[in-house]
Amino acid sequence: MDYMNRKQNQDTQRKLKVVFGDVVLGVHGDGFEYLFSYAVGGMVSLTAGGREWLYRAPRPAFWRATTDNDRGSGFSFRSAMWMGADQFVKTERIRIGIDGEDMDPFLAPDNNRFLGEKEAAFLTVAFLYTTATTPAAEVEVIYTVEGTGRIQVDVKFHGKKGLPQLPVFGMRFVMPTKADGYCYYGLSGETYPDRMAGGEKGEWKVDGLPVTPYLVPQDCGVHMDTDWLQVYRSSVLANEVQGKDRGRSTFSLRFEKVNTPFAFSCLPYTALELESATHQEELPPARRTVTCILGAVRGVGGIDSWGSDVEEQWHIDGEKDIAYSFAIVPVRE
Amino acid sequence: MSVITPQLSWLDDPEVFRVNMLPAHSDHRFYESEADFAERKDSLYQSLNGEWQFFWSKNAAERPADFYREDFDTSAFNTISVPCHIELAGYDRIHYINTMYPWEGHQYRRPAFSLESVGAQPGQFSEAEYNPVGSYRLRFDLEERMLGKRVCISFEGVEQAMYVWLNGQFIGYGEDSFTPSDFDLTPYIREKGNVLAVEVHKRSSAAYLEDQDFFRFSGIFRNVTLYAKPQIHVEDLWARTKLKEDGKSGELALRLRLSEAGEHTGGESILAYKVSVLLKDKKSGNALFEKILPAAETVQMEPEILRDIQPWEYKHPNLYDLEIRLLSADGKAAEIAACEIGFCRIAIEDGIMKLNGKRLIVNGVNRHEWNARTGRVTGMEDMLSDMACFHENHINSVRTCHYPNQIPWYELCDREGIYVMAETNLESHGSWQKMNRVEPSWNVPGSVPQWKEAVVDRMRTNFETFKNHVCILFWSLGNESYAGDNIQAMQEFLEEKQDGRLIHYEGVFHNRAYDKTISHMESRMYASPKQVREYLEGDGTKPFILCEYMHDMGNSLGGMKSYMDLLDQFEHYQGGFIWDFIDQAILVKDEITGREVLRYGGDFDDRPSDYEFSGNGILFADRTPKPAIQEVKYYYGLYE
Repeated sequence: MDYMNRKQNQDTQRKLKVVFGDVVLGVHGDGFEYLFSYAVGGMVSLTAGGREWLYRAPRPAFWRATTDNDRGSGFSFRSAMWMGADQFVKTERIRIGIDGEDMDPFLAPDNNRFLGEKEAAFLTVAFLYTTATTPAAEVEVIYTVEGTGRIQVDVKFHGKKGLPQLPVFGMRFVMPTKADGYCYYGLSGETYPDRMAGGEKGEWKVDGLPVTPYLVPQDCGVHMDTDWLQVYRSSVLANEVQGKDRGRSTFSLRFEKVNTPFAFSCLPYTALELESATHQEELPPARRTVTCILGAVRGVGGIDSWGSDVEEQWHIDGEKDIAYSFAIVPVRE
Repeated sequence: MSVITPQLSWLDDPEVFRVNMLPAHSDHRFYESEADFAERKDSLYQSLNGEWQFFWSKNAAERPADFYREDFDTSAFNTISVPCHIELAGYDRIHYINTMYPWEGHQYRRPAFSLESVGAQPGQFSEAEYNPVGSYRLRFDLEERMLGKRVCISFEGVEQAMYVWLNGQFIGYGEDSFTPSDFDLTPYIREKGNVLAVEVHKRSSAAYLEDQDFFRFSGIFRNVTLYAKPQIHVEDLWARTKLKEDGKSGELALRLRLSEAGEHTGGESILAYKVSVLLKDKKSGNALFEKILPAAETVQMEPEILRDIQPWEYKHPNLYDLEIRLLSADGKAAEIAACEIGFCRIAIEDGIMKLNGKRLIVNGVNRHEWNARTGRVTGMEDMLSDMACFHENHINSVRTCHYPNQIPWYELCDREGIYVMAETNLESHGSWQKMNRVEPSWNVPGSVPQWKEAVVDRMRTNFETFKNHVCILFWSLGNESYAGDNIQAMQEFLEEKQDGRLIHYEGVFHNRAYDKTISHMESRMYASPKQVREYLEGDGTKPFILCEYMHDMGNSLGGMKSYMDLLDQFEHYQGGFIWDFIDQAILVKDEITGREVLRYGGDFDDRPSDYEFSGNGILFADRTPKPAIQEVKYYYGLYE
């Protein structure tokens, strides 16, 4: 993806202010502020209306908590290296573009040349990750920040010969506090590629962050074919806010499709937290929001739970590329 | 009644499974007066459910062997609710295991006579170090309305073997945990202070035949009821019905077995009575058919043709009230026996299963009786909730996996138009499938002669109890027990009855030698859509059904479309039963948080266990629907 030459269809007014720090790149606009860390290798702050949305930098998601059918068919064994990849990722390269122009070199001391904030119509920050697999694969995650604060996220997985099938592929956003709930336009209920015919398309509201109470905690709560998702919170970790403003107003963040609908899940746990529990009551107290915006979802299967694989058309081939896009839109209150 | 001395060795002997038990009979209700009948008042029944005295022993040697004596000192006894599983009352360990026998790794056992080298196995259960015994005692008075009549007792469900005494006298013995065991108490019962003693043994040779994939419970887990027979009584009623080809006339044949009190209280001869047969439309109450027949020990009514019959089927559960009056010489009814009947016609025509002349599509589920608090002790509330769920999700069929259910469930299915595959209480999975491999070296019942009568009796009891229920389209010989002469004998028993229903058994798939003599349909479980297609495109001669498919363990039920598409492509693919309806898990208080949580196999230090494998429902164990149910609703709705 040649992101540096990308032409954004928008006004060319230079509304964004870009701060080339030594460790962190900041971008500021009307009502929002985003920080990208070179050290962490990702976006470390997404603030809209003064509210923080990122607890940790978003990461590619490669694992889903083993379903009973995944376990029974031996899938989790065959694909186990994706569990490590999900937990550990290495940043290989970061590139930054302003209005399509490559800003390399931008690390200290080369950033001394900027002599202050830079203005931009749009800012592109691209991270290239490699996976903890054998062989290693590359994942590009490109954030394009527009003057309105909208962030387009283009995600590309480069498949590699010899890699096992993936349980899932997407981006995981861990938010600082537990959300009050979410709204989305997509299919009713919990759906998967091979179990979505019964889903009714419409606007749905979900209170809290329900974990489907399967006897053994496992992947759950996926919603296929989604046009947009809006996550609502009313709590923050900011110490100065606690007490006086805590829980009194609701604020939200929106994810929107770009060209094609996406799949998502919005739960209080990561895949590995779910993976580790053998009963619902072993899950830790729910204190965060884990939103996964997914570009590929493996089917759940249903032929049996002791050997039959998910039907082939619902597999995710680890040797093939996966590319998808979505947008993050800060919501003005 | 001859005096019989109970023997512990019956536990070990596969040829002893009912001693002094009354013959299985239809589940019709009966009344002594028109007034009672009008209100459907059960004046001839007395429930013995409630708190009983109870003593638990680890094995037969340690049990209080003479606890049945009236003067036995019960000061060491505790109490238990009836009905209730002994394990859920806290006396014995809860244990979940799938196909393995529950003693796997603890004890080396082979079924009696199953191998040439294996003999009668005396003491295998009766002298086992671990084979718990529940000694139940109840003191009761006979209610006034029951006095002066013949009194019998019905145990609707006791796992797994029981000895019964009344007032110090031995009454009888029974196995087959999931069908009623009735005994005549008349010779020993009195007005006040009766002492009923029931000794329940957790395991017996029946354990080999009850290796269902479920929590392994024991005890009295269904109703215990006394019933009084009027002077003259319909012991058994068989209303054979059939919808004629024209779809609007029906056939009704009757066979009654009557008894009178003569032997005990001195009564009139049966021959002095007349039998009035009355059939009424349930909705309008209009009489459709009336006939008076002479009474005899056996009354036969040859098929009568009835006009303007409304067929019974899904969405149109048209029922008729059948009323049998035993009229004394003065024309008064000495007893009114009643049941609801319906008219349908299930048959294989042109290689396709048809109901009332139309291709049958089974949108089914397998249903275990389950309640997360009480296990297989379930009530009407659970049944009504399940039935509402069926309707909501376009489920038209249920397989009573893998044992006969409580009687009211069949009545409900009659009334709600749900097709039933009525399965017999038989599963011997651990005797032929080991580590997923077919290995029937010591399979029972197989073709072992000593095991034949036990399984034929299970079939007989299932048939005789439920034969009047129009909802039953299929008899199922059992589940996952391989195939041999003995299962063939079960089918032969049914074939002789010629009741028109179809016979189902899946296990013949693993032993094709019995293809022609077992099962009217090709039944498979968990075949992939591709494998089903291979059969359907091949030279398969039988209509095809999946008695278990869509294994909904955890987050599952993906790919249902591939099965539903087969319905469009092959007329003789006729659907299937999803595995299964409700997760089996137990609500307990979490030892850490104090919250109520669901626990499964292995959570009770029970070993070996198959852990969460019992959680395959489209409902969670607390009856809330799993998300996948919307998929069931969608696809079953398309093929309604």
